[in-house]
Amino acid sequence: MTSSPRRSGAEAGPAVAVRGLTKVFPVPFHRQSIVAVKDLSLRIEPGEVYGLLGPNGSGKSTTLKIILGLVSPTRGRTEIFGRDSRLVESREAVGFLPENPYFYKYLTGNETLRFFGHLSGLRGVALKNRINELLDLVGLSRARNRRLGTYSKGMLQRIGLAQALIHDPRLVVLDEPTAGVDPAGSRDIRDLILDLKRRGITVLLSSHLLAQAQEICDRVGILADGVLVREGHLQELIAIENQTELIITDASDELIREIESAVSRSKAKLIERRKSTTTLERLFLEATKNDKRMTKSE
Amino acid sequence: MAAVDDSQFVIPLSFDIRASSFAGLMQTRYRPFSLWRIRAITANTLTELTRLKVFYVLLVFALVLIGSSIFMAQFSFQQEFQILKDISLGAISLFTSLLAIVATARLLPQDIEDRTLYTILAKPVPRFEYVLGRITGVLLLLAISTLVMAAAFVLVLYLREQAVVHTTLRQMSGAPPDQMADALRVVRSSAFNINIFPGITVIYLKACLLAALTLFVSTFATSNIFTIVVMAFIYFIGHLQATAREYWLQEHSGGVITRVFLAIVTLLFPDLQAFNLVDDIVAGTAISLAVFAKTAVLGLFYTTIYTLLATFVFYGKEL
Repeated sequence: MTSSPRRSGAEAGPAVAVRGLTKVFPVPFHRQSIVAVKDLSLRIEPGEVYGLLGPNGSGKSTTLKIILGLVSPTRGRTEIFGRDSRLVESREAVGFLPENPYFYKYLTGNETLRFFGHLSGLRGVALKNRINELLDLVGLSRARNRRLGTYSKGMLQRIGLAQALIHDPRLVVLDEPTAGVDPAGSRDIRDLILDLKRRGITVLLSSHLLAQAQEICDRVGILADGVLVREGHLQELIAIENQTELIITDASDELIREIESAVSRSKAKLIERRKSTTTLERLFLEATKNDKRMTKSE
Repeated sequence: MAAVDDSQFVIPLSFDIRASSFAGLMQTRYRPFSLWRIRAITANTLTELTRLKVFYVLLVFALVLIGSSIFMAQFSFQQEFQILKDISLGAISLFTSLLAIVATARLLPQDIEDRTLYTILAKPVPRFEYVLGRITGVLLLLAISTLVMAAAFVLVLYLREQAVVHTTLRQMSGAPPDQMADALRVVRSSAFNINIFPGITVIYLKACLLAALTLFVSTFATSNIFTIVVMAFIYFIGHLQATAREYWLQEHSGGVITRVFLAIVTLLFPDLQAFNLVDDIVAGTAISLAVFAKTAVLGLFYTTIYTLLATFVFYGKEL
């Protein structure tokens, strides 16, 4: 994999700038209105993977829609690479994958990418080559001539990612990209996001799957009731300043006793001693990989 | 259905951004107006609508109705041709109107419900291009279905005309040539007259108007069922509009409230009765060029106005 970031240093300003954003939805026939986002300010640098986290109804999707110009802000301003995101031309630099996307079921994978390619101003051989590359990239080359109505949820998510990348955007916005996708598909999407980052593409994603966000995000912002309650570099946010973890392999009982004894002699305190464990995700992937191998050999 | 090709995707090691077509794509520049984008949306709309079952159900039903009119035995061939034209043109008018409403009503709500609209508008596509692409797709579909129905109608009319011509020739085999020529001229003029084609054009323009009006209603409607119900009301009001206008124009037509109400009806709802030239065609009355031009301009005017209104409302719509 070529890891040369193509755009590092090319942009002077932030990839996304949100200043004092407030969105109020009036409720028809009621005096009260719903405040979806309240005085939100964000700055996402080019090449970053930024995670907008929060529970359902916290204002994540509304924020993304405002950034994409699909919803207008009540107050405040959003910009994409310095362009007001209400302007259509700002979307030239953006690829978007909505949550649980449903594309036109009567189109094939190939036709879907051609349609979105045309909308992005691509045509001819360049578009054809681009479609082939993206279908390869998301592993749908063999399913290119099948209608989307026959695609599984994971495949729809992948064709969705391909359409988001069709015009080579500098910013990719993903709304709950792994919602409803199985662990293997979820890992594939994670790998793709990391690959986009290596290429220097900025990624803004919303999620409520914290473990996954922790794996891929450089910075996160946590929204609650439309308010940004925490923001910063992930490692800084989750680090416990006065605690240290040592992971030792092949340690003898004697060595462990010596370490514990050294700790007890000092002012420090040993909080927990446990065997290292794998993650459930890793266990699942290994188990399903073995099953696949057995099925093939049969 | 089992996913045949749902294997994990692997980013190929050889995938080099600089060697791929990425570099060329980066040079793409945004254009505020692009016929290419509109064409893509139009083609997609046409594909979407032609894959709807309701399209084929309506079309087949109309064709069966037109075809069945061939079997209607009448007292004279003049009456037979009149009824054939009446039923066929009525069927074309009804089914193009129904198709215009049913096909258009689902487009916008469906795109919002499936979130495909988000994906489209997240690309550099101005909202007016989306509306323009959608309405053009519907108008093309209506043109195709009108042409198919008109072709079926002309074919049925031609077949009946030929049958009557053969019967006349057989019955008048001993008559002088002048008398026979006169008889055949009467048969042919009863079957075909030049009014048929402007009549069908006006039926198409009425369907265009209804499609644009449906699109406008769907921009603020909450579902396609709501849009269809509203359009059903508008359809009937539109046909009664002329009566309302005449009533309003009479000097002593009631109180102020009645007059204001009728004025609103007259100004807001299209006069669909103005597009009803079927009776003239059936009766063989000549449609003057002035009447045809006036009706055609009215149809184009309404279609344009409603499309502009739909665009205006859609621009302010929160998605």
